[in-house]
Amino acid sequence: MGEVNQSGIAKFLNNIRSLKKSFLGSFLRSGKPTSDKSRAAVMFNNFFLHIQGVKTHINTLRPTYTFGFGLISLYLLIIVVISGVLLMVYYNPSVTEAYNKIKDLKYVVFGGNLLRNIHKWSGEGMIIFVLLHMARVFYTGSYKKGREFNWVIGIVLLILMFGMNLSGYMLPWDQLAYWALLIVANIINSPKEITDSLGITQYFDIGGFFKELFLGGTNPTQESLTRVYLLHIWLLPMFLFLFLGIHFWRIRKDGGLTRPDTFERKDSDIYYVNPPEKTGGIFPTYKTYGLMELARGRTPAVDKDVENTVLSWPNLLIAELAIFVLTLAGVIAYAYFVDAPFKEPANPLIPENPAKAPWYFLGLQELLSYSAFMGGVGLPGLALLGLALIPYLDREEDRVGIWFTNRQGVTVALQSFIIGTIVVIGILAFVVNFGWFRNWWPNVPQILITLINPGNIWVGFMIVYSLFVIKKTGSTRMGAIALFTMFLVSYVIFTAMGTYFRGPNWDFFWSKSQWPIH
Amino acid sequence: MYSRFYLSVLLISGLVLITFLVFATYRELNPEWKKYQLEYRDLLIKNAPNEAARKKAKSIKIEHQQIYIKPLKKVDRCMNCHRGVDDPLMKDAKVPHKLHSGDYLKKHPVSKFGCTLCHYGQGRATNKKDAHGKGRDTHWDYPLIPFKYIQSSCAKCHDYLFLKDNGGEMVVEGERLFREKGCRGCHKLNGVGGDLGKPLDIIGSQPIAYFPMKYVVGERNTYNWLKQHFLDPRKIVPGSEMRVFLSEKEADLLTTYTLTLRAEEMPRQFRAIRYTTPVPKDGESLYKMYCVACHGNGKISAYDEILKRTIPAIMNPAFLKIADDKNLERIIKEGRKGTPMTSWKRTAAGLRDEEIRNIIKFITKDRPDERPEPFDYKRFVTDTKHGKELFNVRCALCHGKDGKGGKDHLGLNLRNPAVQKFVDPEFLAMTIRDGRKGTPMPAFGKTGVGLSDQDIADLVAYIRSFSDKGKK
Amino acid sequence: MSDKNPEKGEVSRRDFLGLAAIGTAVLSALGVLAGVLRIFKPDVHFEESKKFKIGKPEQFPVGTVKKFDDKKLFVFSDEDGFYAITAVCQHLGCIVYKTDWGFQCPCHGSKYDQMGNVIGGPAPRGLPWFKIEQLVDGSLVVDASKEVPKGTKYIYV
Repeated sequence: MGEVNQSGIAKFLNNIRSLKKSFLGSFLRSGKPTSDKSRAAVMFNNFFLHIQGVKTHINTLRPTYTFGFGLISLYLLIIVVISGVLLMVYYNPSVTEAYNKIKDLKYVVFGGNLLRNIHKWSGEGMIIFVLLHMARVFYTGSYKKGREFNWVIGIVLLILMFGMNLSGYMLPWDQLAYWALLIVANIINSPKEITDSLGITQYFDIGGFFKELFLGGTNPTQESLTRVYLLHIWLLPMFLFLFLGIHFWRIRKDGGLTRPDTFERKDSDIYYVNPPEKTGGIFPTYKTYGLMELARGRTPAVDKDVENTVLSWPNLLIAELAIFVLTLAGVIAYAYFVDAPFKEPANPLIPENPAKAPWYFLGLQELLSYSAFMGGVGLPGLALLGLALIPYLDREEDRVGIWFTNRQGVTVALQSFIIGTIVVIGILAFVVNFGWFRNWWPNVPQILITLINPGNIWVGFMIVYSLFVIKKTGSTRMGAIALFTMFLVSYVIFTAMGTYFRGPNWDFFWSKSQWPIH
Repeated sequence: MYSRFYLSVLLISGLVLITFLVFATYRELNPEWKKYQLEYRDLLIKNAPNEAARKKAKSIKIEHQQIYIKPLKKVDRCMNCHRGVDDPLMKDAKVPHKLHSGDYLKKHPVSKFGCTLCHYGQGRATNKKDAHGKGRDTHWDYPLIPFKYIQSSCAKCHDYLFLKDNGGEMVVEGERLFREKGCRGCHKLNGVGGDLGKPLDIIGSQPIAYFPMKYVVGERNTYNWLKQHFLDPRKIVPGSEMRVFLSEKEADLLTTYTLTLRAEEMPRQFRAIRYTTPVPKDGESLYKMYCVACHGNGKISAYDEILKRTIPAIMNPAFLKIADDKNLERIIKEGRKGTPMTSWKRTAAGLRDEEIRNIIKFITKDRPDERPEPFDYKRFVTDTKHGKELFNVRCALCHGKDGKGGKDHLGLNLRNPAVQKFVDPEFLAMTIRDGRKGTPMPAFGKTGVGLSDQDIADLVAYIRSFSDKGKK
Repeated sequence: MSDKNPEKGEVSRRDFLGLAAIGTAVLSALGVLAGVLRIFKPDVHFEESKKFKIGKPEQFPVGTVKKFDDKKLFVFSDEDGFYAITAVCQHLGCIVYKTDWGFQCPCHGSKYDQMGNVIGGPAPRGLPWFKIEQLVDGSLVVDASKEVPKGTKYIYV
């Protein structure tokens, strides 16, 4: 008995002595990544790292291919989430307290102002980088070859991201927040314009229904703030992370990022990766994953081009870490210098003039000033639908992974850029100088403006021009490039118009300094 | 050497990040108010009367000073810089360390009242610019109140009777001016008053954006707007119909009073209102309160540039001679549609019948004893055509060919629906016959120009036919 | 094949650029973490001042026991002077009530004597006494942020 006890105690003491080793061993099951094998093992044994492949294609790591736009968007999201949780420590979604809490955050919390700036600017930075990421994916043709649906998920993420930015804009409950909330509520209400024209509003008031659902009433009140808060901190993020998971999972299953079929290594790659000395890597070229060798499908594409891949640890991880620190440094530096706007407390009786939506919606607000329904629901809906359909309408699969596909693509993109710029500015100049139907015939029926307004004309022009490009070049990809380029151009120009050139009463001004003083 | 690009990015970004973390920490650790608190500590050490006090002064902590007034949910951090405000040792120190002037703090300890309750400014802010709330970029509606208007804050808790003898005379005087300048002829307060202007109940606490600041000289805030608007309403709001003529001093008094009209009410434990001032209800006071802004002393009927119309002389004996009390009461109660004269009855501008009777008693105090000879209009068979001929000859000079009066004419607008609807023909006829003494309207009857009663009846018929034409 | 070039791995890990880069990354991460933790502590608290007036000495004739509910303390007056004892039980923060023999906590049965010393129950320490001062105008002021030894009474002259 004593002996058994003895050996039991000894075993126990031994276990205590080897606690550090056994704990670390269970924590890092593959040990220190000192060999290629263990480096690979780190990647696929680690919960956080296994979302990435063990090996990464050299093309992916060339900064001029992706510019890191997608990665930066992700990091901005992470920064937004962490800073957002910290803001929740102090924030209180009450119409009487929200404003004061943010003042307190600014004045008596260590780094509180910086924190709020970081949250604000990384959230808005996401808009820019997500759009850039979308442009990168589009211009490299990366929405093809099995990635069609991931593009659609990307569009869903885009919408969710806009929703999160917008709902966050309303939480401080200052003048900006209140009037933006009211404007957005009325955009939601804008299908009323159509139902009114058809005379069916009293039976089928879809705009009013959603407006009330959003506001919890007919005007922004405490109920609205509670709902917007719920959207901002729980509902939208939940869906965002769900779709983000699918987005990444699909990238992984599609074998990482796209790359040209005709990939060739360059000497300069040495700056970005540790190139493999032998071809073939650690896997034989016929290798697929487990049961997937039974699958006869288009995914996963793991066995192609293996000789041009490098180990993700450390090549990819170093790059990712670098981009993360770069993003964080950029955000903090910007937040250090530029304060997030914060105005007078919300006053339901005195509108801001002009009552502007947040800048990323000012393009829409410009369209909105022609027709509330088309600007708020019709055209954005059409644009998002069009974007989502691009992979299905353009199915040419050659030269995927090359910027602008070929020389013709560059030409088409440039032409569309120039023509788009001229036409959009032309339309805006016309509207600013001559007005539209209602200025000429005050009694014109609303349905006519809804159907024929500058926004619709522009969208119509984009469609016709892209069809023309398809006919001329005989390539749907070229048509897609024309359409997408014009979409980006008009988003930027309309947004700039709403941001810089529209003042009180939505009148045109060359600069903010000319705004009349109220 | 592989990954040199990403490692360099990592190194540079890391260094930038650390730099900005250091910057941000430095900025947070060295707020503007720290300097003032250090100065205050030095002053304390210097002024300490004895060794114990000096030792105590040396040990004071440099930290956030916050006054939290729970019943008001108010936070004041002014003492971050003004730490010496209730310290008698700081009597001769310079601003911001100076002791509060007077003995106000004895009865209003900072710990109970804070600072912004009286002085305004942004209590939560911890830097000078934001705390004082000056400038548009601070986005603060209630900047520090100028010293000359500070008495308006006393009226938050104290009544006028107390204020009169205890340093609130500007509020009391302002209130008297407010009553005597006839402000309520156009502005409602507590639901009583005319409706030409905006109600004034919470005017003093309206945000800056409520006021059109375009033409305000100097800092664009409520205080300057009120003062400059009192001095010249049309300079601040072009086209304003406000009839007010004040001296610089009176403008300050009225500004002070206006600033006491606020939305928020103090909790009971702060208020020291013992009884309200009994507002005089005699005819003269009421006339001043509600009528004087337009009608002045009521003796002269003249064209008014501001209102762009002729204001009738309602205290003119000639007018009173023919306008009996019933007539006057009807005009006051129902108003004159199409003119600035509003309906003053209980349900409209809010005057009680008794008050209206008092006003009538006051304006009719100079009514001549003799009653005018009655004019029995119904007796006559009228001829509008003849009336028209007479009108063009006799009346058109002053009242205009179309009877509209107006800028270049001395006479009233006879097409005014008020004249057409509410003035009975007998009244018109008597006015034509006897004229209006004290106004340019001469007597056209036998004693004057010499029209016969039949002529006058024809004229009245023609004038009354204006509204028929209008209807057609 | 999987264990190729271990030497190269060693060399690159010791490489200066790599070390410096990783080092700054770790340092900045620590800095950010410190900032994040600091954010949780605001510079001020939204509480009323711990120092407050309780009234003039005349309001507390000898033998008075007065409880200030909103301030959570008792004020006593006896032949030796004034003193203030907290009403917050030192066990888990319930409010004690006054009995003939001292103070009783209703939550977990802590008992204190007249001086606030523990005489029963789980309380780890006695009820603290607070400092009493007098203002120029004669009002008594309790400073609940300053404890004084038990038995320290303010003598009113």
